[in-house]
Amino acid sequence: MFVLLRQLQRIRAQAGLHRTDTPGWLAIRHVDAGSCNACEHELGLLTSPWHDLQRFGLDLVASPRHAELLLITGPVTTRMVGPLLSAYEAMPEPRLVGALGDCALGCNLLGEAASMVGSVAALLPVDVQIPGCPPSPEAIATALLRALAERAR
Amino acid sequence: MTQLQTVAADAWRTQIEAAITQRGERFGGAWVTADRHWRALLVKGADARVISCQAGERVDSIVDLVPAAGWDEREAHDLHALSFDGHDQLRALIEHPTQGERWITPVRGDGVHQVAVGPIHAGVIESGHFRFHVVGERILHLDTRLFYKHRGLEQAAVGSTPQEGLRHAGRACGACAVANSLAYAHAVEDASGLWPSPELRRQRTVLLELERVYNHLNDISAICAGVGYAAGTMAFAAHKDRAQNLNARAFGHRFLFGSVAVGGAARALPAPAAAELRGGLAELRGDVLASWRELEFAGSLHARMDAVGVLPAEAALRLGTVGPAARAAGVAIDARVGERRLEYDALRPAAAPRPDGDVEARFQLRAAELEVSFELLDELLRAPLPASAATRGLRASPVGVGRVESPRGETVCIVELQAGRVGRLHLRSAAYANWPSVAHASAGNLLPDFPLINKSFELCYACCDR
Repeated sequence: MFVLLRQLQRIRAQAGLHRTDTPGWLAIRHVDAGSCNACEHELGLLTSPWHDLQRFGLDLVASPRHAELLLITGPVTTRMVGPLLSAYEAMPEPRLVGALGDCALGCNLLGEAASMVGSVAALLPVDVQIPGCPPSPEAIATALLRALAERAR
Repeated sequence: MTQLQTVAADAWRTQIEAAITQRGERFGGAWVTADRHWRALLVKGADARVISCQAGERVDSIVDLVPAAGWDEREAHDLHALSFDGHDQLRALIEHPTQGERWITPVRGDGVHQVAVGPIHAGVIESGHFRFHVVGERILHLDTRLFYKHRGLEQAAVGSTPQEGLRHAGRACGACAVANSLAYAHAVEDASGLWPSPELRRQRTVLLELERVYNHLNDISAICAGVGYAAGTMAFAAHKDRAQNLNARAFGHRFLFGSVAVGGAARALPAPAAAELRGGLAELRGDVLASWRELEFAGSLHARMDAVGVLPAEAALRLGTVGPAARAAGVAIDARVGERRLEYDALRPAAAPRPDGDVEARFQLRAAELEVSFELLDELLRAPLPASAATRGLRASPVGVGRVESPRGETVCIVELQAGRVGRLHLRSAAYANWPSVAHASAGNLLPDFPLINKSFELCYACCDR
């Protein structure tokens, strides 16, 4: 255990993360609406020691009822439309919607038209756009922090 | 070259039975073609052959002979309207009917109730639904309802050129992008009579092992998360991030997207870059080993994994389990062994540290396999990886078959070319092969242990759903 903790301490030192004074807090609920899982891998790394997103007041929450931002990946398959809209309905107002990755933004989609809606914007108003295939953890963090700062203004 | 043998539809069962019982072959997947042939892949060691029959609308089921074919038959019914005599009850797999009796197994008795989980889960997890039948906290049976992420990639690939078709296989799954792309490339090369040069074989083997390294690191982190051992979760998540940074430095992408091409190499790795990658991996290997030693002595971690989620060898064989899940149960199936299209002469497969088929066994096997992959990469990266092409000269196969060992096990890709274009693409990933094993290993366990059992298999939803 001590070796692990020392290793983590060293990683923190190498990562050179700084404390910030970003105002407030943003609770994020992620929904996979048909992605290839690469966006999920990168989003999951945001809470790892190299990035540690929680220090900015951002966190991934389990329930849409606790969320302020719904972060959606994938081209929205027809089978995920229902569950996605239920999650959106369950959120308190005011609520934000983020499209994470090229698929969610409707770019370079693969698959048959009958199985997909095509992009998040076809279903919900999108406030935060994060392009990339997949966007790197840094790119996701930058976009989320911008959303946090804009909301605080 | 892959042999294709066409048999009469009424001989289908006897042919499959003879293959399994007399010839000692293993079922490797089945698919419907555009002209309604029903085909099955039969595997023995490094060799594979295809048998086929004209099915029309109905064909005899083989699910009693080969339980591993259960999902293939249900998929053929849902997507291609093929019916199976003797497969009772043929439950919906890819279709999502509203009537529960069309997909839920009836479970009766005192105090039996259902717990529904998903498709949206509590963390950053792919979408899929689990219907648990429980008494108290004890799981009696699990019905998995996946395919929420079905994009229709196989259908969309029909009519594309062999080069364009690669995108559909490659983007089926982010975490298996190399394995799926490579299985596709092998299938197209098999169908076009191409054979990879030694340099190309070496480069592709490097890519496949790089993918295994970051995935196994991720899976060890995920199993620690399933237990709630945060120090292990974070340490291995950080190692995985580092491994992906090395991928990006060497091949331009953290998930190695675009690094595999059909008929050749997508890019070269010159001497300085190869040396840098080799050095980075050696450094990472040392840190991983130090972290792993700590995990080995964390008693509270192991107490949660011992005898939990057991998949016995007999069940693994019957269900057609592949990859680390099979090897941790003592079933030594590894598509890398004897694979002539790749450079695995130096491979010494890891012996399962404990072939008990429980979460602990799958956890320990991953660490042992990581060492093997680091060792292989160290050997393969001694020289630069020049861009090299596959050579012509073989006889083209009527059905192109690619079999590649992904981090989760044997992934099969079938490509049938028609007039130089993709007539049929079928991707049967290791995740697809192993999902029934997750349900089997969960029965009899406590519901709160399911996330841990699930993470010990760490299967993809995306390349299962396609």
